[in-house]
Amino acid sequence: MTKETMSSLKQLNRLALTETEEAEVLDFLATLEKGEEKMAQTDTEGLKILVHLSEVSNLFNVLREDKAQKVYTREELQEHAPEAYDGYWQVPRLVD
Amino acid sequence: MKYETIIGLEVHIELATDSKIFCSCGTTFGAGQNNNVCPACCGMPGMLPIMNKKVVELGMMAGMLTNCHINRYTTFDKKSYYYPDLPSSYQTTQWFAPICVDGGVEIETSKGKKVIGIKQIHMEEDAGKLVHDEWTDTTLVDFNRTSVPLIEIVSRPDLNSVEEVVAYLDKLKTLLRFAKVSDCKMEEGSMRCDVNLSIRPEGSTELGVRTEMKNMNSITAISKAIEYEVARHIDALERGTETLIQETRRWDDVKNKSFGMRSKEMAADYRYFPDPNLVPIIIDDEWFESVKERLPELPHLKKARYMDELGLSENDASIITSSRALCDVFEGATKVNGLPKDTANWILGECMSTLRQKKLSADDLDIDPAKLGIIVKMVADGKIVRNAGKKVLAAVFGEDVDPVEYCKANGLDAQSNAGEIEEAVKKVLDANADTVTKYKNGETKVRNALFGQVMKELKGKGDPASIQAILSKLLD
Repeated sequence: MTKETMSSLKQLNRLALTETEEAEVLDFLATLEKGEEKMAQTDTEGLKILVHLSEVSNLFNVLREDKAQKVYTREELQEHAPEAYDGYWQVPRLVD
Repeated sequence: MKYETIIGLEVHIELATDSKIFCSCGTTFGAGQNNNVCPACCGMPGMLPIMNKKVVELGMMAGMLTNCHINRYTTFDKKSYYYPDLPSSYQTTQWFAPICVDGGVEIETSKGKKVIGIKQIHMEEDAGKLVHDEWTDTTLVDFNRTSVPLIEIVSRPDLNSVEEVVAYLDKLKTLLRFAKVSDCKMEEGSMRCDVNLSIRPEGSTELGVRTEMKNMNSITAISKAIEYEVARHIDALERGTETLIQETRRWDDVKNKSFGMRSKEMAADYRYFPDPNLVPIIIDDEWFESVKERLPELPHLKKARYMDELGLSENDASIITSSRALCDVFEGATKVNGLPKDTANWILGECMSTLRQKKLSADDLDIDPAKLGIIVKMVADGKIVRNAGKKVLAAVFGEDVDPVEYCKANGLDAQSNAGEIEEAVKKVLDANADTVTKYKNGETKVRNALFGQVMKELKGKGDPASIQAILSKLLD
């Protein structure tokens, strides 16, 4: 885990970290990396790749019919919004 | 030097469903900000998606219509994307196993026919809308469109001109509307398009630097943007006006220019990974066949049948098969009256002119096919005159009116009308004995004056052909 990877991750996740915090995260990620290295040593020769757990549980096609229903009102949903205005969620200005 | 333009399109189509892709919120356009939202499409923690079955079926249909291979095992993935129009900070889409792959559609341009390859079609959710508020200088978020189901149709870079791009989009629109997969209304955003473009010297096999223009939603803008980009690329290569870089650009419809975006996608690292909350979808033969059976007869096959079996001209068959609504009315009416040619004439004449008057498009034709069938037959059988037919049609258009009852109630049936006409003609002839004498002495021109008098007498309600017939009967 290099400083560059860290900086790219910060940018992708829009995170502002202090130096102390960054050191902590780096430490944590290094632990994860070690675990990953260990996993990589496992002999997986001849094993089928498992992408979805449902392949083990045999769960497929969880589907619903196309029926619209209104369960929540806007007011209920925006009750906990840090900022709302005129029925909109309100966020800091975005420059694009 | 001569250059070749290479274009690939990513077309986003909003599917014609009542509810969103992963939750039961409605999809109506213009519902008022944040009125079609729930904790799931607001990205609240702990909410789980449940797949809409109809989305899978419309996705399959889109693939069948564009000659794709339908993947019988299809899965969803998360595409990391950090922007407030998608509150979960990822878009649920298909990356590893999209529903359709390897297809193509045939287009026709002034240069002839050509097949445009389709790399894949995948299902995904739409993002919300951001509005900049001047007053508070903040960004306002509307999640109504978040999680509205989309398919993205990714073409191969087989398009070489604006004409081909327009023909390709038209073809997709016709097919998808026909099968009611989407209404494909560009003006309402239910069909949007990303244009990938590069140029290279003619004969070269290497691809040039590619730029992408996102979210184009009108044919005019797409055409102008392509022309602008081609010119910009040529200038860069020939005159060194700038160094081309692979980038996402925004088309400004007012300034007629494209601009490089300081884009969220620039540092794109989508980190796709399988969505553990959506289990794989397996399409067995039974499901596949049941969807296939629901596909309508395609426009080009209908056109051939209308010409070969029903005797329509190529022109008439082309116009009718350009719209599903016209086909439905035509077929329904023909079933009732067995008169395909007469029915086609009424659709292309009276129905179309009524639509034009009401400023509606062919797809908005709202008339009970059986009623049109009856009107056409009544006219063909001489039960009512053509003008009366037009009146009945106007009465029936978009209304629950029975054509036969309407004729009786308004004295439009030919029998009573013929009597009225004959009475009027007699009255005119009696009052204009001099003119009649002139006519009988060979001054045939005066017949027009008599005809005009009869029309006036009937206050324009008389059918010209019937008046002429009765005039002939009484004069000659």
